[in-house]
This record gives sequence, structure tokens and C-alpha cells, in this order.
Amino acid sequence: MQTKIVSKNFEIPHAETLAVALQNGRYASLEKLFTFTPQELIDIIKASGLRGKGGGGAPAGAKWQLVSDFEGKKYLVVNADESEPGTFKDRQILAKDPHLLIEGMICTCYAIGSNTSYVYVRGEYEEFSNILQVAIDEAYEKNLLGIDAKYPVEITIHRGAGAYICGEKSALLESLEGNRGHPRLKPKSPEPEFYFGEPTLVNNVETIASVPFIVENGAEAYTACGTDCSPGTLLFAISGHVEKPGVYEAQFGVGMWDYIQELGGGVKGGKKLKAVIPGGASTPILPAHLVYEARLDYESLKTIGSALGTGGMIVLDEDASMVKALKNLLRFYHHESCGQCTPCREGTSWVDKTLDKFIAKTATHEDLEILKSVSKSMNGKTICVFAPAASGVIEGFLKHFESEFLECIQ
Amino acid sequence: MSFSFSEENNLKIASLMKRYPQKKALILPLLWMAQKQDGYISEDAMQVISEHSHMPYMHVYSVATFYTMFRLQKPTKRVIEVCRTLSCELRGSQEIKKHLLENYSDSYEIVEVECMGACSGAPMCTLDGKYLENLTPRLLDEVLNAN
Ligand SMILES: Cc1cc2nc3c(=O)[nH]c(=O)nc-3n(C[C@H](O)[C@H](O)[C@H](O)COP(=O)(O)O)c2cc1C
Ligand code: SF4
Ligand code: FES
Repeated sequence: MQTKIVSKNFEIPHAETLAVALQNGRYASLEKLFTFTPQELIDIIKASGLRGKGGGGAPAGAKWQLVSDFEGKKYLVVNADESEPGTFKDRQILAKDPHLLIEGMICTCYAIGSNTSYVYVRGEYEEFSNILQVAIDEAYEKNLLGIDAKYPVEITIHRGAGAYICGEKSALLESLEGNRGHPRLKPKSPEPEFYFGEPTLVNNVETIASVPFIVENGAEAYTACGTDCSPGTLLFAISGHVEKPGVYEAQFGVGMWDYIQELGGGVKGGKKLKAVIPGGASTPILPAHLVYEARLDYESLKTIGSALGTGGMIVLDEDASMVKALKNLLRFYHHESCGQCTPCREGTSWVDKTLDKFIAKTATHEDLEILKSVSKSMNGKTICVFAPAASGVIEGFLKHFESEFLECIQ
Repeated sequence: MSFSFSEENNLKIASLMKRYPQKKALILPLLWMAQKQDGYISEDAMQVISEHSHMPYMHVYSVATFYTMFRLQKPTKRVIEVCRTLSCELRGSQEIKKHLLENYSDSYEIVEVECMGACSGAPMCTLDGKYLENLTPRLLDEVLNAN
């Protein structure tokens, strides 16, 4: 069931060192790279259908084009903030195959015409960013990076310091500029991001790590995997009540239940499945009967009222309390709201506190109504989609498991 | 002023300056550097960073307080962070937290944190920033008594 494109070298001992990386095909795409013009390369990425793997699934090629169309100084920023609960895939690339990321960054910089790039790594990942730093140093030494490289690229690691919201791309750039991580207002028409006023491409670690394969093997090799609308593979992650939690790469479109059973080893202790949060904590929960028919791609999860998100599945068994699970997530949202927008700052606090009453079984019907109406108000005008996502999470729990909330009413 | 960066760090700062288009971007890296050097970020350190980054002290202060990993107080104990988010809770983080609070709160500062990106190793915690995964109370005892 696994298809290894990005994770091909994960099991190879010392694949994080340049010597072993080179023996196992790293930097091979660079030979092909320079036979293409930058625009040809962007066209290949467009043809491959590569979609952003940070949660949104935006087509990568179109984003690259936006940045490439600008003249002058541009930047590539790789998003390694990875703070979405249930998500731990990018860290595998940083720790197990950092040269794949560096190779992808060189390809991407060449395509968009940038020579300066940053990797924004969440502060907690010190161990993994250190591994990446060693790999970067090695690449500089061998002139794969730096001014003496065939195509000069500078890579600087920038460490975050504990703020979930800095994964949102505009907050990330604020943080990279030396500010608090506050998301920016979104432009009305498609625009790239801007770093100190210069056009900037922000892509997820895994998106960039998928690029060398496409450069080397062509767009068709990529579209041969996955579905029509979601080509290729994803480093799906699985945690919670399963026998074998971990990260296993698979093609888009595989069955969620098959994945849980074959790769996740099934529900822990042979218990029955109750629900799955399919793609990181911000995606609406799916009850078992929908899990059985769910496919792991953007479109099919959308049709059943959820989203693929980061592909990080959290599995809950028959004994899990949905009230406790929602409380856990709302505490997270309350804690992580950046505080700029009133509906988000006040709303996340309010729903979190309301859930305490359900936990204590002292809730009233009015509390349930409050939960619903506050949740609705969070899905309105906010600067970023953090609050709407929280609202969707609440809605999902109430839609499928309202009876458990009713049981907590006095 | 009682804070100054070490020789080694000053060299690093000089090379970091070339990496960013504006000095303001040095704030996060230098806050980290100060914290690594002293174990926390003092007011004097923020003053020095404000000079390096050409930004007012209050800006540096407001940035330093936004991010949960920056410590503005000198730690008196070693720090254990326990993840409390869903995947860890489903696999027993509350039991881990209880065990820590009951047995180790005198000698360690025990902090609850949100998902650390280690959900496949749930329940987990960190000790001095290093990840400890697939915890049981017994395993914790082994590690903490050996440290
Ligand atoms: C609240 C919030 C948190 C996010 N966190 C991350 C993250 O940790 N990592 C990531 O790659 N993208 C994250 N994103 C998505 C980014 O804003 C951005 O879309 C992404 O990095 C673009 O890369 P991609 O197109 O390659 O996925 C987050 C978005 C939101 C709204
Ligand atoms: S929605 Fe929430 S997290 Fe997003 S900008 Fe507003 S307050 Fe900050
Ligand atoms: S939930 Fe604890 S590491 Fe992710």
C-alpha cells in the first residue's frame, strides 16, 4: 500500500549525510534541472498537478508562476512550522533526508528566479533543525549551495519559538521579519506573499521535497500516482488509538479504512472504531460509518463534509469520549489564538469554558445553544482561517455526536 | 550593561547579518542566542538586541513575550514539558502528567504544552528540550533517575 517517492531514503542508515545521500540519488535532479529554462520547469510543475502539502492543497505551479512573473529580488520560504496537532511528517524529511529538501529548494529557487531562501522551523524541532543545518553546511562545502554553485542559492534556517499561528504563511513572514506572528489581511486578488516588500513563495517542506522526483522523472511519472485532481502521494500520518502510529507515504485516493488497517495496524487492542479526525486537528471529525467509505484525497473528503488537511489522521476508538476530545481541541484553539480578531479571541475562550460544563456534566440546554451560536460567530469575519477552522471542528462534533453532549446536560 | 554576547556569538551575528535584508529580522535569532547563552532573556539582553536590530526596546520586548518558548525569567529548575494535545491525551498523557506532578515537581519545572509533532510517540514529553517518546511512568522514572 505504500508508495515511496518522498520517503524513499527514510530507512537508509545515515541518509542525512551527504555521502550516503549522493549514493542514493540525491542531487541527481540537478543534472536535468539546468537543461530546462525556469519557465519550462514551472510548466512541468503545473503539468504534474503538484498540490501544496501544508494543508490547503493549493496548486504549486500557479503559485510559482505568480512569484516568477515579478522582476527583481524574490524569496523562497519553506514552511517547517508543523504545529497542526496530529501532524508530524515534515520532521521526518528534516531528520531523515534533509538533502532532499535542499535539492528541492535549489530546483524551486531556479524556477522562480530566487537566490535567497529560508526554512522556518518550529522552535521545538531543535534536534531536527540541527540535522538540517549540518546537511546545509555540507552542501555549502561541496558548492551545491552558495555563490560558487552552478545556480547560487543561500539557505538560512530561521527558528520559530512556540506559536502555532506562525504556520499560517503571512504570520510566518511577519515572524521572519522580526515581528509578533500576526497573520496579515488577505489581498482580494491572487498575489504572492511578500517578505520585506519583495515577492515571496511560501511552500510546505513536503511540497518542496516532492519537486526533485518530478524534475527527474517528468510530470507524467507523478500524475501516474494518485487521482486526477490529487496526483501523487502524501506522507500521511496516523496517531491516536492505532497499533502502529507513524508516517507512511501513500498515493492519494487510497481508502482511509484500508490505510488504518494495513499501515496503522488497525484500532488499538482490537477495539471498534468510533471516529477519525482525518487531516490534523483543524479538520472536521468523521464517524466510523463515513470512515469506511472515505478516500484519502482532497475531493472525496470534501464531499463527506471534512477535509484532507495535512493528512495527519487521529483515530478514536469506541471508548473515547467525544466531549473530552472536543474539550481538548478547544483548549488548544483557545491557547493558540493570536488575539487579533475579537470573534476569535473571545470566541475560542468562550467555547473552551463552555465545554468545562459539559465535562462536569453541569451543562444546560442554553450552554449547548451558546456553543452553537459562538461557533457560528467565529466563522465570520476574521483575518485568517484559524477561527473558521475551529468553528468547523465544533460543528463536526455536534453534527455527528450531539447525543454525547446531550448526555452531559443536567 | 551586564549583558554582552560572547566572542563566538558576535562572530555568528556578523555572519547572520548578511543573511537577512533588514536588521530587524535578527530579533528572533538573537533572542534564541541570548537564551542559549544565559538560559533566559534578560532586560539587558533585549537592550543589546534592540541595538543590533535597530528596533526600539519595546518592540523586542513585545516580540519576546509573544512566543511561548522565550523565557524572560531565569529558570531555577530543569524543565519538563508534557504534551497535552489530543493524540497524547488518547494515549495517556494525563497519567504521565499526574506521575510527574506527584513525584518530580520539587526538582523539575513541569509545564504543559500543545502538540510537539511527536504524536506517533504519544504520550511524550521533553527534558531540557529533548524529546522523550512512548512514555510510561516507569520509563520516566528510569530516565529521570539516570539524569
Ligand atoms: C492556522 C494555520 C496554520 C498553518 N500551519 C501550517 C504549518 O504548520 N505548516 C505548513 O506547511 N502550512 C501551514 N499552514 C498553511 C500555510 O498558510 C500555507 O498555506 C502553506 O505553508 C503553503 O504551502 P503549500 O502550498 O506547499 O502547502 C497553516 C495555515 C493556517 C491557516
Ligand atoms: S482568526 Fe484568530 S488566529 Fe487568525 S488572525 Fe484572527 S485572532 Fe489571529
Ligand atoms: S499530540 Fe502530543 S505530540 Fe502531538
